[in-house]
Amino acid sequence: MSAIRSNSGEGATPPSTSTVDSIYRFLSSVRFAILVLSFIAASCVLGTLIKQQAPPQEYLKQFSESTYAILKFLRLTDVFRAPWFLILVSLFVVNLVLCTLDRFGRFLKTRKDTKIPSEKAVSAMANRFVVRNRGADEVVSLFNGYRTSAGDDRVRLLEKGSLSRYGVYVIHSSIIIILIGSLIGIMFGYRGFVTLNKGETKDTIVIRGEAGKAVPLGFKVKCDDFKVSFYPTGEPKDYVSRLQIIDDGKSVRQAEVRVNHPLTYRGTSIYQASYGSDPAFLFDIGGQEVRLAQGGVYKKDNVTFMVVRFERSVHNFGPGVMVAYIEGNEPKTTWFLKNVPQMRERQVMGAAVKLTEISDDFYTGLEVSHDPGVWVVWTGFALILFGLYINFFMYHRRIYVVRTEDGVLVAGASLRNKEAFREEFEKWRKKINGSE
Amino acid sequence: MALNNQILGIVTLLYVCIFLMHLVFFATKKEKVYGAMWLVLYATFGLHSVGLIVRWIESYKLGLGHAPLSNFYESLIFFSWCIALVLIVMRKKLKAPIITAFAAFVALFFIGYASLAPSVEKGIQPLIPALQSNWLHVHVFTCFIAYAAFAISFICGIFYMFQWKNIIPPKDTLEEITYQSIMVGFPMLTAGILTGAVWAHYAWGSYWSWDPKETWSLITWIVYALFLHARFTRGWKGKRIAVLAIIGFGSVIFTYFGVNFILAGLHSYGAS
Repeated sequence: MSAIRSNSGEGATPPSTSTVDSIYRFLSSVRFAILVLSFIAASCVLGTLIKQQAPPQEYLKQFSESTYAILKFLRLTDVFRAPWFLILVSLFVVNLVLCTLDRFGRFLKTRKDTKIPSEKAVSAMANRFVVRNRGADEVVSLFNGYRTSAGDDRVRLLEKGSLSRYGVYVIHSSIIIILIGSLIGIMFGYRGFVTLNKGETKDTIVIRGEAGKAVPLGFKVKCDDFKVSFYPTGEPKDYVSRLQIIDDGKSVRQAEVRVNHPLTYRGTSIYQASYGSDPAFLFDIGGQEVRLAQGGVYKKDNVTFMVVRFERSVHNFGPGVMVAYIEGNEPKTTWFLKNVPQMRERQVMGAAVKLTEISDDFYTGLEVSHDPGVWVVWTGFALILFGLYINFFMYHRRIYVVRTEDGVLVAGASLRNKEAFREEFEKWRKKINGSE
Repeated sequence: MALNNQILGIVTLLYVCIFLMHLVFFATKKEKVYGAMWLVLYATFGLHSVGLIVRWIESYKLGLGHAPLSNFYESLIFFSWCIALVLIVMRKKLKAPIITAFAAFVALFFIGYASLAPSVEKGIQPLIPALQSNWLHVHVFTCFIAYAAFAISFICGIFYMFQWKNIIPPKDTLEEITYQSIMVGFPMLTAGILTGAVWAHYAWGSYWSWDPKETWSLITWIVYALFLHARFTRGWKGKRIAVLAIIGFGSVIFTYFGVNFILAGLHSYGAS
């Protein structure tokens, strides 16, 4: 590893440097970056191989009790929120900032003192040719797309793609911006969940990961309607909630929320996440209408029964409800089948009970998130793509035009994409000198 | 069998043909054979594209209407299409027939597996609501172009370990192709991760949730970021760089297949 050194001045530390200085050098070195990134990658591997944030029973199925205790102690069951992981990320940020500033400082310095090379240096470059029938000014004007950035009356420097040299700094800064954006989200944002039946209104949500903690939304959400449509194969095709936002007693917004199309109000976004159904059963008991949910108990006079089971399809006879009751000290159950007339009505503990309707109402499951940092993250995303573009799809090249005694000497060099540059340079030679 | 499956079946045979033409070239050393191989590759790529478009059109006829990017079969077919595309785009840089031979073989392997394996569902399936988004196209496209470019760097990395005069190109050429392809793959992977994050924000309400697929794409990204820094800043050369290219592709393969089959998560669409 010691054989090849970059120009970043990480060479052997002179004995006179202080400890602080050498710590600074280590923290800002590319070697430290490689180390920290490797550790982060390894933690990510652990964080996917070991199930994260699962209930203890799940771990105990897989590991022994002592192994689970060790995993829990090392926070390997919740890697991405573990303090040591946050420390790793912080070290990465420190390194990235120091490293980038360090390099940028040196880059600005070298940029400031762009030296015009000597005629001898130019005539030693690999890509070069001599023009005899044109003047230096004319040659310079032929280089379309290049701009003259420095020079005197003898040597002139033309450049193209110098923006690409800023690519690295743009990319590194974007990563910092993205991390700042996510930190804003972690500190000032929240994520939660709310379920709404048709017609229901709520003003609180249940926070994720905090055991059912309810948090006020600051406004009310009402579900006016909810619809699910299915493909012929039975898979869900679309689910849509028609929501109403009620703020200060006034209906301020009405919108359809479907998967991939959230609704945002006052910085809080509401996403269609899931749905479920709460079947309700209407019974006619001796001329009286009773509505029961699953697990619901009817108790009046001497009649007591409980809805214990609901099936959408009982042996192809359509939906059915199982009811349990006690008769002569014996627990008994019986099925009510909605679509079979003779099985819709039964005697339960001496009373005539009839299943009149099964209402299978869907409720909507909405994910709610408030993330004030998201625009910072988006800005970082846009910047990093721009940085990657200028860094990887543009490259910096230089052309030198030198007035000499036997004509105009043209030479060129690029640090990257040497092969492509050689071909480009060959084209310039043909254009300026003709294919001789 | 639907028309798209028939076309893609013919495309599979054409990839076999491309691989065989490479073998003929290695045996005879006739440049003409290699030139003809490129023509067949262009034609194959054209027909492959037609196959994808026909599948897209057929999905509308079935009333499902979505781009052929949604299940395992479609992702395998699309992956080999991306490999062919990257080969064509990088033609000038891939100066070694052994590289194109193996890249064509990888493309053949994936499309062949998709067409022949009985466990791979070949029909057009409905698109679940979470996948019904325009982000699907740009996300899958950028990711798979990246995977294809990384496949080429992987092939170079493997050949770096061997020597075979006149068949395996010199080490310098291999190294050059390795990082040329990573320089294509890395920005594409970044774009793929970012478009995925934006999409996740609109579909699930969070741009990053440490889902196994997300996490593995980050691991892959870190490996290639390490590659670039080791190569350009620390000046790593030779075997170490080749090893990094191999590890990187191992991570790609795990992101693509391993996560679907071994780890469960939000992202298990490609598995069925």
